Amino acid sequence: MNNIEFLPKFPLSANPFALFGVLLLAGVLGGELTRRVLNLPRITGYVLIGLTLGASGLNVLDTKMFDYMHIFFDVGLGLILFELGRRLDFTWLRHDRSLVILALAESLLSFGCMFAALRWFGIEPLYSAVAAAVGVSSSPAIVMLVARELKAEGQITERALSLVAINSVVAFVLTTMLLSWVHHEYHASWLIALLHPIYILVGSLYIGFLASVLVLVLARWFGKKIELHLTLLLAVIVLLVGAAEVFKLSVLIALLTFGVLVRNLDRDHALMPVDFGSFDQAFFIVLFVATGAMLQIGDLVASFGIAAGYIAARFVGKSIGVLCFAHLSGIRAGSGGLLSITLLPMSGIALTMTYSAGNLYPEFSAKLAAIVLAAALILELVGPVAVQFALRSAGETREAI
Amino acid sequence: MSDELDFKPSQDLSIGVELELQILNSRDYNLSRDAADLLSLLDKIEHPGEIKPEITESMIELNSSIHTDYEALLAELRKIRDTVVRAAAQLNLRIAGGGSHPFHDWCERRIYPTERFKQLLEVYGYLAKQFTVFGQHIHIGCPDGDAAIYLTHSLSRYVPHFIVLSASSPFQQGSDTGFQSSRLNTVSAFPLSGTMPLLKTWNDFNSYYKKMRGYRIVESMKDFYWDIRPKPEYGTVEIRVFDTPLTVERAALLAAYVQTLAYYIFVKRPLPASEDVYLVYKYNRFQACRYGFDANYIDVYLQQQLSLQQDILNTLKLLLPYSARLHTEKALDNLYTDVITRRSDAVWLREAHRKFGSLNDVARCQSEEWVGQTLTLA
Repeated sequence: MNNIEFLPKFPLSANPFALFGVLLLAGVLGGELTRRVLNLPRITGYVLIGLTLGASGLNVLDTKMFDYMHIFFDVGLGLILFELGRRLDFTWLRHDRSLVILALAESLLSFGCMFAALRWFGIEPLYSAVAAAVGVSSSPAIVMLVARELKAEGQITERALSLVAINSVVAFVLTTMLLSWVHHEYHASWLIALLHPIYILVGSLYIGFLASVLVLVLARWFGKKIELHLTLLLAVIVLLVGAAEVFKLSVLIALLTFGVLVRNLDRDHALMPVDFGSFDQAFFIVLFVATGAMLQIGDLVASFGIAAGYIAARFVGKSIGVLCFAHLSGIRAGSGGLLSITLLPMSGIALTMTYSAGNLYPEFSAKLAAIVLAAALILELVGPVAVQFALRSAGETREAI
Repeated sequence: MSDELDFKPSQDLSIGVELELQILNSRDYNLSRDAADLLSLLDKIEHPGEIKPEITESMIELNSSIHTDYEALLAELRKIRDTVVRAAAQLNLRIAGGGSHPFHDWCERRIYPTERFKQLLEVYGYLAKQFTVFGQHIHIGCPDGDAAIYLTHSLSRYVPHFIVLSASSPFQQGSDTGFQSSRLNTVSAFPLSGTMPLLKTWNDFNSYYKKMRGYRIVESMKDFYWDIRPKPEYGTVEIRVFDTPLTVERAALLAAYVQTLAYYIFVKRPLPASEDVYLVYKYNRFQACRYGFDANYIDVYLQQQLSLQQDILNTLKLLLPYSARLHTEKALDNLYTDVITRRSDAVWLREAHRKFGSLNDVARCQSEEWVGQTLTLA
């Protein structure tokens, strides 16, 4: 026996734990530097450090590590979508229908504007449509984390989160439905073109529903013990992320459904309003660093014009939708503008949508990425600043007396 | 500005009610900070009475108009309640009664941005934010300043009654305090809380007030946080020891009780202002806050000790002939049943906690009870 086998072999191979630690540490440092030196939201710092470490920068996080990162990314996203879903309160939507009208208006108008803009740039209809659908969704992660960082609370914050939840749903449904068109374009059989979107939508909704029933039944049995409820939720969230991947369903729809139903099916308030507190912060930091690492500055240089047009059209669509209907809801005059600014960020979800399409047709994914990812990069950096500005101007952050 | 306080006479025994209320979110039923948005929405809706901001952004205050009749007061309070609840629902907020929020964290509160409230924060520091407790104030109309001073002293004997009948703050900052009304402990921290000095006439009061202004201890009557104080600009005596009850129905019952008591006091003039009342005042007050109906009550006029429950029952019997004339019999009868069966909002809140097992649920029940929708706890 060779007596030095107990020593590690060189070159050292990547390890998911080390990677998680590195991403987290780098994120914390980047976030803190950005906050202290530039006085920008920490989230912008997480993305910047991701960009630095990723393919566009030092290339420490190469494509081989993306598989590992994918796991953290999905868990982080799962936590956020669950949290977001839990914010969507059907009772409120019944009391204030203007919120639903507003959400649908801004979703559909922004879709229309983005589609028109991309067509104007000469992009083929299918790509314009899918890119526009992806852009309908505002970033739950950015809005929620900036709100949390600033301890923001109030009507604009609440409405922003509900609008984000609804426009995320619209975006997921639109992109999933457009899958049929993608299949058709790549000459898949009509049966596949029809069944695939249905399988994803119905399957994801169903596992989300099953998870919520499981949680509610167990929560009732546990009684009001906050630690048990916390563990229960974490377990089911991670389980659901795994199940969605195993069954090739949508993590996004499943987790959002889970969050929405666990709140709205809980008639007798069996589940305690568990606050994950700072626990999930680690996953969120890694999520943003990973997002930064996956984005490429090259995309930005190549398609800056299109990205700028896409972002402008998106913002115009969302703003018109919000400004036209904001007066119907009970918010103070003038807050409509701030509300539309909070919808500006677009995020990692665009990435996931783009990459999941890539699993089917790499060629399609590459073309789509060229359109969407440059915009995602810009908004990933500018978005947190915009949300911070809007929530501060609305006077909903903790800084006031 | 003249230092002289004019007492503006008002109709004898007219009553008015102020209720400080909690604004909750519908997610975990913690206090929210939406008073400004709620008030601006309510500005656009027609409603009786008045709705005003309070010291922190998690509170609002409802004011009734001036009434002589208990039923009319109750009807109006219900209308204002419904208006506020509907507006709150549009903003996804809930409204709740109760003297304290069971689990909010005082340091998360924000001061409502008016000059007066900002100044209170400056003067009182963290006490201003801790003052996010919720009381009911009842005004009784008086013909003149002397009558108001007399009534203020006479009512002092009944302060423990007011405390136990309204007690609804057993939980504070996430814990059971063991008190029936813990809210008054928060009020006691203020330097100008307590009782009015033993002055006998409106003239005496005016010289006292001038002195206090001279020392710059107070700027106006608002700076006295006494349990009972004359309110010269309204021509009333204002009782401030009540916790906000869980329902407007109970708030109106308490107003009927006070109105009948005041009637009895004005007609019979049975109780001369007495130094001895103030000797035992703090003891009696503490007993009521801590033990509710089981409190030991020292009656200095009759030189006896009895349970607070017994003293209230005796008083209610004494008031029977007076309530007939004011049409408050039904209200007092309800109160009598509650006292006999030892029902109080504090007891109800502890039952809710036992039944549902979390303070989030207690706050939720408070908000449901405010609109009369809580399932019975039995």
